[in-house]
Amino acid sequence: MPALIAIRGLRKAYVMGDETVHALAGVDLDFQKGEFVAILGPSGSGKSTLMHILGFMDTPSEGSIVFDGQEVAKLDPDLRAWYRSNRVGFVFQSFNLLPRLTVLENVALPLLYRENSDPVANAAAAKVALERVGMSHRLDHRPSQLSGGERQRVAIARAIVGTPSIIFADEPTGNLDVKNVDRILELLGSLIKEGITVVLVTHDLSVAENAHRVISMRAGLVHEDRAR
Amino acid sequence: MKLFDRIRPAVVNGLRELQANKVRSLLSMSGIILGVASLVAMVTVVQGMVGNFRQFVDAMGGIEKITVTREQLPKEQEHLSELSEGVTMRDVDRIRKTVPLVENISPEARVGYERLIIEGHETSTYVTGVTADYLPVAKRWIDPGFGRFISDLDVLNMNDVIVLGSAVVPELFGANVDPVGKVIKIRGRRFTVIGVLNNIEGSGMQIRSANSRSGGGAWRWRNSGAFIPVSTAQAKFIGNDRLSGLGLRIGDAERLHDAVEQTERTMLAGHKGLRDFAISTNEQTLEDFRKTEAAFKLSLGGVAGISLFVGGIGIMNVMLASINERIREIGVRKAVGARGSDLFLQFLAEAAVISVVGGIIGLVVSMGIVALMNYILTQALPTGAVATLDWVIMSQGLAFSVVVGLVAGVYPALRAANLDPIEALRHE
Repeated sequence: MPALIAIRGLRKAYVMGDETVHALAGVDLDFQKGEFVAILGPSGSGKSTLMHILGFMDTPSEGSIVFDGQEVAKLDPDLRAWYRSNRVGFVFQSFNLLPRLTVLENVALPLLYRENSDPVANAAAAKVALERVGMSHRLDHRPSQLSGGERQRVAIARAIVGTPSIIFADEPTGNLDVKNVDRILELLGSLIKEGITVVLVTHDLSVAENAHRVISMRAGLVHEDRAR
Repeated sequence: MKLFDRIRPAVVNGLRELQANKVRSLLSMSGIILGVASLVAMVTVVQGMVGNFRQFVDAMGGIEKITVTREQLPKEQEHLSELSEGVTMRDVDRIRKTVPLVENISPEARVGYERLIIEGHETSTYVTGVTADYLPVAKRWIDPGFGRFISDLDVLNMNDVIVLGSAVVPELFGANVDPVGKVIKIRGRRFTVIGVLNNIEGSGMQIRSANSRSGGGAWRWRNSGAFIPVSTAQAKFIGNDRLSGLGLRIGDAERLHDAVEQTERTMLAGHKGLRDFAISTNEQTLEDFRKTEAAFKLSLGGVAGISLFVGGIGIMNVMLASINERIREIGVRKAVGARGSDLFLQFLAEAAVISVVGGIIGLVVSMGIVALMNYILTQALPTGAVATLDWVIMSQGLAFSVVVGLVAGVYPALRAANLDPIEALRHE
């Protein structure tokens, strides 16, 4: 079975003043469908850059990315937006729910930007996603009325509402208490049963240990890639 | 996705933002509110004045009227004053024969401000001697059931008959009395009332103050006065054959200048070269007025334009501040799949919503301003200019505000659209 994502020779350089920073210095990786992967590394290791490029928020300076059989390394902004809307979900450390929208509206947000977006169908899909994360009793609440753990569950519902192929979770437990950490990691891990590839980006080894495969990064290169 | 399907959620979102930041939105709207209110109110008031003046010129006989008046001789001809006959009925005959462009000639002999007396009542008004041609020249008529006007026979026979202005009737006879056939006295002479002139009411200027009587208001001066045969006026009151002036109506307003020139030559020839008359038209008045109107429109348009410009800056300012506060929101929306154009539309719609709501409030304010102006003008001016708001001006005002909002929203919306999602998400 071909990999969901195949990366070859991926490089990303930033010019900062007179200096050129190589955030990614030649990365080769494969991600399989339904894999639970952690990308581990200290800040500056290139893990966030890798996530942004794989999440279609950024483009590499060099190299190739084959996503679902398509070369996607150099897409124009609108096509990248299409991939973000249709193939990718994000979960952030700081939840990033929009304060003025209700829980239901926050979850339906990715569907708003799709073609043939229909408010009724969007709301129905958002309800299903909220049921999946156990938050269907809070549809009309504002994010500010929820606890941290609840907010992150809503954020996960937003990430899965568009039935993506892959979800990137960037330090998803960084702002949570111990009790909620396990719940959120368990929830994320359970998504692979639906065939979703889950990529956990963290600098915390104990968090990374929850994944089935841990990729360690250092100085823009893959330092270690081991299955557990 | 159709454009409308993208605009609708953007507009809904804009309304929510407006609701969430009521005070800030109202402040940002203030420029638009004032701009639209001043634009609509001023255009309305100027239009009211324009309409008022058009009616005024029309009531003066319109553009096709030429007025010949008696004048003092100029300095260089003063020594010939013995030879001056003034304007007389002989001029009427000469013009009729030699100036075919002139269709009607109305000789007028002013008697003066006279007391009209019947048993128990009296009133004072201007009495003028005229002929049957007064009606077409002054663009007046007598409504059916209100008698008849002075005829050629009345002039020929120097009949003691009188036609009253509609405002005079209630003052002499009270309400609901048919004056035709009644006899009134002027300086002891008995005149039989034979008709009442039509009542003039300004159509564009419905001024009805509480104390105005029937036929009163702005057009009161046109509805007063009394008319007797010109021959009667000359023989029994004035004592000579002089006229105070002539009113000429030409058939073709396009040939006004020719008619004026021909009339002047005829008059000069008949008066042996003496310039004891003056010829005037309403053209100059109308031209002066057109210039005033243009100046008004330009300066008021400038004021309104500046306030709308300031309003646009206000909206742009608030939109930029709002975008600064919502950089993270923009990042999130982009991360979940929004394109640059989606965010551009969202923020443009927000600016448009602010300006439309501001524009609507401005229209409401303009209604108040126009009502106030009407009140003040009615009190201050005898002919009072009264303006009524019309939908064309109001929709133009609203359209202006929308354009301003959209133009002001473009730059902030572009900024939102071009934000880098990664940077935006990192923004604290």
